[in-house]
Amino acid sequence: MIALVTAQPALDFAQLLRQHQTMVFSLALRFLRDRGLAEEVTQEVFLSLHRNLAHIQSPAHAAAWLRKVAAQRVIDEGRRRQRRPLVAIDKIAEPAATARASGMERDLLLNEALRRLVASLPETPRMVMILRYQEDLDPMEIAEVLEMPVATVKSHLQRSLSLLREKLARRGVGEA
Amino acid sequence: MDDLEQQLRRAFQPEEPPADLTERILERTRSRRVAPRWMAAAASVLIAVSAGYGYRWHQGQTAKRELLMAFRITSTKLNHIQMQVVR
Repeated sequence: MIALVTAQPALDFAQLLRQHQTMVFSLALRFLRDRGLAEEVTQEVFLSLHRNLAHIQSPAHAAAWLRKVAAQRVIDEGRRRQRRPLVAIDKIAEPAATARASGMERDLLLNEALRRLVASLPETPRMVMILRYQEDLDPMEIAEVLEMPVATVKSHLQRSLSLLREKLARRGVGEA
Repeated sequence: MDDLEQQLRRAFQPEEPPADLTERILERTRSRRVAPRWMAAAASVLIAVSAGYGYRWHQGQTAKRELLMAFRITSTKLNHIQMQVVR
């Protein structure tokens, strides 16, 4: 009886889908850098949510669940398909026009250069960077999503940022 | 937060998925729901057929028991008659 009174109304799958598909798709796209694959992973993540909807207690729980499952699924997909560029971060050339361009064009070139540099990182630091700068999660939240110590997350962030700074400075792009 | 971090936030702005992705996912969830209905119908047919065979088997067993009982009664009666004839 108590269970019947306190039972949560069933979550609206279509609403959750519309609300979170951009997050899941962007996570997959930025990590895998392949639109078709990102769409495929997004579909799989939401079909998994649909199968597990009975275990999801609230919209907030759904958001956290989706982020965790999407991050793990995307990392697995990246490892499976080995989409990670096999060139080292130092070998990636900056767009030649970056230094010469100005204003909006320079910003767009720099954005693309940063996305390429982040994409060249190993899977875990790459996902840490995407969760930090796309999802705006703090290190503790990232640690929960990726089930790793907070210190490890902070270390990945610091190392990746140093690497990006060094790379940009060497190419004469400098910080924005 | 420094300039690089701000630039990273701009570079990693979320990107909208294709407009038809929502409908494609919903369509796949709808087609997933068809399977259990189909399976339920198949299970119903299987149960009905099994029940039919089970009922017929049970009827056969009952008939067998009744026939054996009839043989035993007949045998007893024949023995009884034979004893009376001998006397």
